[in-house]
Amino acid sequence: MKQILTVDDSASIRQMVSFTLTKTGYVVTEAVDGRDGLSQCGRQKFDLIITDLNMPNLDGIQMIAAIRKLPGYAFTPILMLTTESQVEKKDAGRKAGATGWIVKPFNADQLIAVVLKLVK
Amino acid sequence: MVVAAGSLAFQTFERAEAGIASLLREAEDAIAAVAGGFEELAKQTDGVLLLAGQIVACVEDERVRSMLPRVQSLGGAARVFIHERLQATAGVLEMVTAEARLLERLSQLTRAQRSIARETQTLSVLTNIEVARLGQLGVGFQYLARQLDEFSQSVAADTKQLALHTEERQTSLRDTQRRFTAGLPRIQKEFARIEADLEGALSKAAASQTELARAPEQFQGVVGEIASQIAGVVAAVQGHDITRQQLEHVRSGLLLILKKMEGLDELATEAASGQARIAAGLNIQVYQLRSVEATVDHWVAQIGECSQNILRIGASEVVAIGPAVLEQERELSSQLQRIEHLEEECEADSAEVRSTFDGLANLMQLVGEHVERSRTVRDRLQLLTFNSIVEASHLGSQADAILEISQCIKRISSDWSELTDRSAQVKEEILQLVEKTRGGMQTFSEGGDGALGMAQAETREGLKNLHIAAEFAASRAAEVEAAIARLQARVGVVDAARERLQACFNAIDGIRKEIEASPRQTAYAATQGLTRGDHAQVEEMFSASYTTEMEREVLRAALCGGPLPAMLQSLQGNSVELF
Repeated sequence: MKQILTVDDSASIRQMVSFTLTKTGYVVTEAVDGRDGLSQCGRQKFDLIITDLNMPNLDGIQMIAAIRKLPGYAFTPILMLTTESQVEKKDAGRKAGATGWIVKPFNADQLIAVVLKLVK
Repeated sequence: MVVAAGSLAFQTFERAEAGIASLLREAEDAIAAVAGGFEELAKQTDGVLLLAGQIVACVEDERVRSMLPRVQSLGGAARVFIHERLQATAGVLEMVTAEARLLERLSQLTRAQRSIARETQTLSVLTNIEVARLGQLGVGFQYLARQLDEFSQSVAADTKQLALHTEERQTSLRDTQRRFTAGLPRIQKEFARIEADLEGALSKAAASQTELARAPEQFQGVVGEIASQIAGVVAAVQGHDITRQQLEHVRSGLLLILKKMEGLDELATEAASGQARIAAGLNIQVYQLRSVEATVDHWVAQIGECSQNILRIGASEVVAIGPAVLEQERELSSQLQRIEHLEEECEADSAEVRSTFDGLANLMQLVGEHVERSRTVRDRLQLLTFNSIVEASHLGSQADAILEISQCIKRISSDWSELTDRSAQVKEEILQLVEKTRGGMQTFSEGGDGALGMAQAETREGLKNLHIAAEFAASRAAEVEAAIARLQARVGVVDAARERLQACFNAIDGIRKEIEASPRQTAYAATQGLTRGDHAQVEEMFSASYTTEMEREVLRAALCGGPLPAMLQSLQGNSVELF
């Protein structure tokens, strides 16, 4: 079964993502901030990462840049799930290695469709 | 004037900041409870939708949808069968009536033949007497007597056979005629009733099919709508991340204001400008709090509406599908049985009709043989006449009696010839009747009606499928009812979470009012005192930490003194943008 990591300092957001994707058949692991997320990626290989931007300890963009340097994560799809919608932030995210951008709140059906497409 | 840290306004803002911090802690739990409650609702709604979908699939399945065309086909085939039957039965009556008339003529022929046989017998006796009287002269006429005797016996036997068969046939036909004459109106009435009932059953089946298709789809639509509402609440719950950040930024804003208040310069202009910026900053926080309040009010209303709609779901129409289909199946089975019963009754009549037709064919054969024999007799008679007259003329006046007998034979020969012709005529007419009736006999053939038989077989097959579908729908409907009950039982939990959420965020009202009241107490300048430069400074100061467009719009509205921006209509959530 495909493994997904969700990284967000908001428990309710992690809960929503986990609920949406678990019922579609994915195994979802939660991380509470950027540092936790990076640590989880070091321990196991995930097929897709969904991360918030503004988090304590290590923000989303810094975390993505660090993850891309880990072995096996060069092409892993990483989606940014954030309240931010400014173009500058999106550009920064893309440069760091994000695959896509979702402004909260996400559309569950759309998210599932994209995840199905990205994680084959 | 430096505002002392212990001043009323300062304390108010400190309390407000602490209140928001406390609210944030409680809000996480309250939101988690709502999220958890709606997750469960979403799971259960998915379950109900799945079941409803199965019922829809069952009703839309080709095997169920094909029932109506099958029944229509059965109705059509039954109608054709009935009409052909009626026509053929009327044809049989005509045949029987015509045959009866022919038999009557045959009877007349046989009576005439009997008469001739008796007369011939008498002639044979007279000839014997005359032969005896003539003695040696009459030897040549002994053969005549013998011939006449043989002829008489042969004709008598043939006539007896024909008469016997004719009488038997007449008796049989009378029975058949009586039965068919009495039966035809009854059959017509029964057929008309069957046609009407079949028409009624077809209409009911068509209406039922429409109803069947409508009910589960409607139910699915209702539940789908609720699933959509649940998804909306779930999306709204995600929006808490925005309200959480808004509140955190209000806290930060208040802390910034408190810091500014501590460091206010003593110079009048600086103080006035600083006070205006502080007042503007406070106004911004008030606007942000109003925005959060509006958002939460909307969530609470959404949750309430969703709960109410869940409680209103009723599965009665879906539950009724199984019994409705079973009823349809029973009704159609009943019609099928009636048609089968009708076929059985018709088969009994068919056997009789086939027998009647066979009897007519036999009669034709019999009459044909009789005509052949009659012709043979006719020829013999003619020869006999000729020979007897010649022989009598040789004997002259001594054979006057023989000559007289010969003349009688001649007359009998003539009569017989006429009877032969009449018999041949009857045979011809019987043949024509047989030919005319043969086509109609197809209806009564033992193989039965192919089209009707096929339609019946297909209907039987369809009814089996319908029964299976009904049982399936009934079992699923029972599960739907149970699933809805479980769903509705969760509403209490969700309502409790909603109330907790509302209670938690009700604190914002008090905090906001305290902040709103405080500028009057401290006599700060109103925001109208802000210069354009102050506007830009204030915006930069308080929006530095902002992460959402919503907060920036609220800030701008606060600075202009305009209305709150419309709340994020993100009930369905935003889509993914792939790079």
